[in-house]
Amino acid sequence: MARKDLLDIASLHREEIEFLLDQSTSFKKLFTRSVKKIPALEGKSVLMLFYEASTRTHSSFEVAAKRLSAEVTNFDVAHSSITKGESVRETIETLQAMRTDYIVVRHGHPGLPAMIARQTTASVINAGDGAHEHPTQALLDAFTIKEKFPDPRGKKVLIIGDILHSRVARSTSTLLQKLGVEVAYLGPGSLVPKYGPTTIPRFTDYEAAMAWAPDVVYLLRVQMERQDVQFFPNVREYHRVYGITTARLAEIRDKGLYIMHPGPVNRGVELCDAVMDYERSLITNQVENGISIRMAVLDWLTPGGDFPRQEAYAARQQAGSSVM
Amino acid sequence: MLLLQNARIAAENSPVLVESDVLIVEGIIQQIGTSLAIPEGARVIDARGRVLLPGMFDAHVHFRAPGFENKETITTGSEAAINGGITGVVMMPNTRPALDSATAIATVLDNARHRARIPVYTSGCVTKNREGKELAEIEGMHRLGVIMLTDDGDTTADPAVLLRAMQYATEFGMFFASHCEVPELAGPRALNEGVMSYRLGIKGSPACAEEIIIDRDIRLARAAGAHVHIQHVSSKMGMETIRWWKSRGDVKVTAEVAPHHLLFTDEHIGDYDTNYKMNPPLRTQADCDALLEGLKEGVFDLIATDHAPHTPFEKAQDFISAPNGITGLDTALVSLYHFFVEPRKFGWDVVVKRYSAEPRRLMGLPVAAIEVGQEANCVLFDTEAETTFTKEFMKSKSQNTPFINQTLQGRVDLVILGSEILLERE
Repeated sequence: MARKDLLDIASLHREEIEFLLDQSTSFKKLFTRSVKKIPALEGKSVLMLFYEASTRTHSSFEVAAKRLSAEVTNFDVAHSSITKGESVRETIETLQAMRTDYIVVRHGHPGLPAMIARQTTASVINAGDGAHEHPTQALLDAFTIKEKFPDPRGKKVLIIGDILHSRVARSTSTLLQKLGVEVAYLGPGSLVPKYGPTTIPRFTDYEAAMAWAPDVVYLLRVQMERQDVQFFPNVREYHRVYGITTARLAEIRDKGLYIMHPGPVNRGVELCDAVMDYERSLITNQVENGISIRMAVLDWLTPGGDFPRQEAYAARQQAGSSVM
Repeated sequence: MLLLQNARIAAENSPVLVESDVLIVEGIIQQIGTSLAIPEGARVIDARGRVLLPGMFDAHVHFRAPGFENKETITTGSEAAINGGITGVVMMPNTRPALDSATAIATVLDNARHRARIPVYTSGCVTKNREGKELAEIEGMHRLGVIMLTDDGDTTADPAVLLRAMQYATEFGMFFASHCEVPELAGPRALNEGVMSYRLGIKGSPACAEEIIIDRDIRLARAAGAHVHIQHVSSKMGMETIRWWKSRGDVKVTAEVAPHHLLFTDEHIGDYDTNYKMNPPLRTQADCDALLEGLKEGVFDLIATDHAPHTPFEKAQDFISAPNGITGLDTALVSLYHFFVEPRKFGWDVVVKRYSAEPRRLMGLPVAAIEVGQEANCVLFDTEAETTFTKEFMKSKSQNTPFINQTLQGRVDLVILGSEILLERE
C-alpha cells in the first residue's frame, strides 16, 4: 500500500483513506502530551515549495514535519531565480539534485505537482494546485467530520460558495463521497457551474439548499483574487444571498448543524462575526486536525524509486539540441 | 521516365478507384491506361494494390520562420509535408516579426524558393503585428502574390478594423481567413469549457466564443462583399452557423476543419497531456460527430492541419504553461486513412477533394489531378503497410503530436512532383 506521492484524492482508494484517518487519530493523541515530537522521520528532509502565498497550510505542514523530527527547508520562491525566469523544470532538476526526501508543493497551475512527482525520487505532496486538488485539506475535513460522526455514511454536507475556483470543493467532495457522505453545492449561478459533477445536487437558492437538510454547512472562502471578471455584484449582496447572516446562524443553531471553513475566513462575506463563537463551529478543529493528518501523510509516503536523473538529463540534452 | 503499373487512381468526384498504369515523362503525365507499353529507359514501379493520389495541399501551417526557428523552419516544415504526402502549403503569418509588410513577405518567399522542395505560399496579416489596430501593408503584400489575410492565432478583435480591412482588400481580390474566438470569453487557456475543464480545474473557453465570431465575421464579409474563410472550426454550433450562412447563398464563405477536431475530444487530455492542447480546443464527441457530418456534407470546403510545432521543452511544461498547438503534416494523410477511409466513414474522393483540390482552389491555384497532360503531382499510398510515428520518422523539427510513437494503418510510399521524386520509402 506504499505510495510515493500524494497528488490527488481522485486516485486514493478507500482503504488508504481509512488508514490515513486512523493514523491521524493516533498522531493526534500525541498533542495532549508535553513532548509532542516523535522520531518517525528522523534524518529525513522536507522541502517546502510554495509558489502561492499560504499561511495555514504552510505552517501546518511545517509543524507536522517537525513533530515527526524531519528537517524542514523553505525554498524561497519569492527570492529565487524562478522570478528571474527559471522554468519550473529547471527548478525540479535543482531540487532533485538536493536529494530531499519530501517536497510539499503549492502552485497556481493544475497538474504541476504531478509533473514534479514524475521527475523526482522525492515524495511529492500536493498542497494545492490551482483549482484542481488540495488532498490534505480534504483528508483533514473528512477527519474532522468523522470525529463528530464516527459513521459518516448518509450524512449530508452542504458546500457553499465559489465552487468553480475551489480546489477544496473538488477534493473534499470527492473524498466525502468516497466515504458515503452526501454532498451538495450552493452558490451563485456564476460560481456553481452546471457542468460540475452530476452526482452532486446544485442549489442556487439558500432556502432550497437548507430544505435538503444538511448536517454540516461547509463555507468556502470567496476568492476575490481568482476572479478575472466579476462573478457577483458585491460582497454585501453575496453575504445577504449566500452568507451565514446572524438570522441564518440562529436557524443553524436551532437545527444543531456544524459549520466548517477551510480558512482564512472573510468576515462579513461568507459568514458573520458571530459564527466564530458558534459552539458547533469546527473551524479551529480543522486547523488542529490539519497537523495530525499531515503527520499521517508524511509518515505514510515512501520516497524513492528509480532515480530518473539520467533519463531526465538525456531528455533535456535532446530538447536542448533542437534549440538553435 | 517513370511508369507506375496497376495503380488504383483516386479522384475528387468518385469514390471508385480506377486501376491503371500511369506514364510520367519529363514531369508530365503522358499516358494513363491499362497494360501500357514500357518505353525504353523508363523506370517501372509495380504499384499494384497501392492508391495513387494527387499531392495533398495544406492551407494552414505554421513554419515558425522567421523568429522561432527552434520550433520549425521552412526546410523542416516542408520536409514534414513531403513526408506526409503533401506537396503544397500556406504559411500563417504569426512569425516574429509578423508577416505584415511587403518586406517581410519578400524575405519569407525568397527563403521558401531556396529552402523548400515544394511550393510554399504564405498568408499575410490583416493588421500590423497582428495587434488588431492598424492595417497591415495589404496592397504591398498582394503585389508579391499574397491573397489570404489573417491574424491567425488571434481574432481581429475590433469588428470596425476588420470591416475596413475587408472593404479595402476585397478590391484586390484578396480574402480573409478568420481564427474565431471572442478574446474576452476565451481567455488565455486552450481548453473547452465543460465537464473536463471543471475536473482539471482550469478555466475553459466556451464553444459560444467561437460561434459568435464565426457569425460576426461572416456578417462583416457580407456587409463588405468580401470572401471569408473560417479556420479550424471546433464546435457543432460553429459548423451549423456556417451551414446556415452557406444555405442563404448571399455571402462568399468557405471553411476548414482540422483532423484533430474530427478525432479527439477534451477527454483525451486525461492527466494534463499537452499534446492535446491546441487553440481552438478539443471539445466533445457531439462536436466531433457534427464536424464529420459537416465535412461529408460539404459545409467544410477543406481539411487543414494547423500544423503548429513547439519544442519538446516547451510542451513538457505543465498544461497552463505549455504553448497551444500540435504538429500535423507528418501524420495527417495516414491518420485520415486510418480513422476514416479504412473504416469506410468516407471515401478517398473526400480526401482528394478536401485535402488536395479545394485548398488549391481556395488559393487560386490549378488543381492537381491524375490526368493526361497534367504536371505529375502525386502520392503513392500503401494501404497494406503501417506507419509508426517515431521521433525519427517525423521530419518536422518538433514532435508535439498525439500520434507520437503510435502505429497507424497506411503509408506514404512515394511522392512525385514534376520530374522529381521527393520521397521514396522502401
